Amino acid sequence: MIKLESVSKAYPGQATPALTEADADIAKGEFVFLVGPSGSGKSTFLRLLNKQEEPDAGRIFVAGKDIAQMSSWKVPMLRRNIGSVFQDFKLLPAKTVAENVAFALEVIGRPRGVVRKQVPAICELVGLGDKMTKYPDQLSGGEQQRVSIARAFVNRPLILLADEPTGNLDPQTSIGIMRLLDRINKTGTTVVMASHDRGIVDTMRKRVIELSNGVIVRDQDRGVYE
Amino acid sequence: MAFRPDYLVRETGQNLFRNPSLSIATILTVAVSLSLMGAALLVSQGVEQINNRFKDEVEFIVWMDIDVTQEQLESVDNILQDSPFVKRLSFVDRDQTFSDFQEFFADEPEILELVEADQLPTSFSVVPQDANVEYIRALGTEIEKESGVEEVQFADENIKAISSFSRGSSQIMLFAALASAVAAALLMYNSIRTAVFARRREIEVMRLVGATKWFIRIPFMLEGLLQGLIGAFLSIFAVFGLNKAFDSFFGDLDSFVFRDFAVPSTDVLFIGGFLMLVGAFLGALGAGVAVTRYLDA
Ligand SMILES: Nc1ncnc2c1ncn2[C@@H]1O[C@H](COP(=O)(O)OP(=O)(O)OP(=O)(O)O)[C@@H](O)[C@H]1O
Ligand SMILES: [Mg+2]
Repeated sequence: MIKLESVSKAYPGQATPALTEADADIAKGEFVFLVGPSGSGKSTFLRLLNKQEEPDAGRIFVAGKDIAQMSSWKVPMLRRNIGSVFQDFKLLPAKTVAENVAFALEVIGRPRGVVRKQVPAICELVGLGDKMTKYPDQLSGGEQQRVSIARAFVNRPLILLADEPTGNLDPQTSIGIMRLLDRINKTGTTVVMASHDRGIVDTMRKRVIELSNGVIVRDQDRGVYE
Repeated sequence: MAFRPDYLVRETGQNLFRNPSLSIATILTVAVSLSLMGAALLVSQGVEQINNRFKDEVEFIVWMDIDVTQEQLESVDNILQDSPFVKRLSFVDRDQTFSDFQEFFADEPEILELVEADQLPTSFSVVPQDANVEYIRALGTEIEKESGVEEVQFADENIKAISSFSRGSSQIMLFAALASAVAAALLMYNSIRTAVFARRREIEVMRLVGATKWFIRIPFMLEGLLQGLIGAFLSIFAVFGLNKAFDSFFGDLDSFVFRDFAVPSTDVLFIGGFLMLVGAFLGALGAGVAVTRYLDA
């Protein structure tokens, strides 16, 4: 589903590259943690996968396509297959829960019938069936993250990228979010998640890719944080 | 990229009303800068009108004696006809002079009562071939020597000066209109950019979930287009008002030169239509360009 072949990436004016000759092969339906200290290149790894950044060298395949060769007008189609979840949720404050989720379908031109059917279903799935008319500032952090997961997943993407989705949440709330991501993974969606959270990585016992200064130093099935 | 009309209407409407102060600021900016442009167009139109009136103005008039004979008339007529310097010639007979006279002194019946048609002179109005003052002078002095000619009256030098001045200022005004269009474009671009900046998160989300660039751009452009149209609509009132003011000001002034300065309402409507087009175009274009800055990443 995702394949990196000696991918390197340095930001302009950076002494040491953010990523150096990274190789990885992630199969469909896998759940992978990206771990490593701050600045080790986890976010860069994720941003390369949906073409928010371009690699300097190497090849990246997503769903069988070489995305480095992909022309820019095809990027929206790529992103429709990749959901993204962030530490800061990126919800639109002027829209309700339902509207935030519906927005993701509307802006890719999905018909109204699909929106009307999918939005309540997905809100139910993430456990917010009774909060659909609330605005983001009326929700707890954990609930806001559920909305952002619903938005990322409502179009049934093949891949879900999560960049420290529990970074702003307390341990109890984080467990709930991890259960949700695990459920989404069980539907066949490939999940790649960057995390600092030792407790979460150690309890989930999923595949772990460890980065250090932009280099993959460990790739372990059913791994732990260290 | 299938646009759902309800999505477009809702998003554009929400965006217009969610941040009313920003919307109003943009609309007023458009209104003010297009008013400037409209004013410049109005003035240039007025100047153009004055130009047209003077362009074919008679350069000199040959006044005949009141008791001029038919032979004398024919002789002067022949000289003028044969002169290579004369472009156009027209004879103004007594009745014509009398009716001009009546029109001119319409407000003073005492004067009208004193004058009968047969007390008035006939005349030739001459438009010379060449605008060269020397030629015209020479031709005039020549004719003045003929018998039966009372006087040759040259066009007022002041009028000629004003005419050439207004020709120049017409160009200056068109340039001013162009300059205010550029100013309008920049001002609009700036305020739309502020509006777009306020919604960069929305654009970021759209990009992440896979909206195409045009899908993101078009609601913004529609919004800019609407704001441009509303602003232009407001500016039409300003232009109408200004034309009214010109009308009453120059009407009261009773100036021979400026009496036609205010333009007819149809011309103002034409300028208004043009301003609407400019407003819509600049609004849509400004928004499109402003959004594009956030689309590349
Ligand atoms: N847009 C950017 N411009 C320049 N340098 C960048 C940019 N983004 C990241 N970097 C640098 O690249 C390196 C890797 O950054 P990255 O964000 O991938 O790390 P990370 O592992 O996600 O860190 P964290 O755990 O703090 O989120 C860092 O040295 C960072 O300073
Ligand atoms: Mg990061």
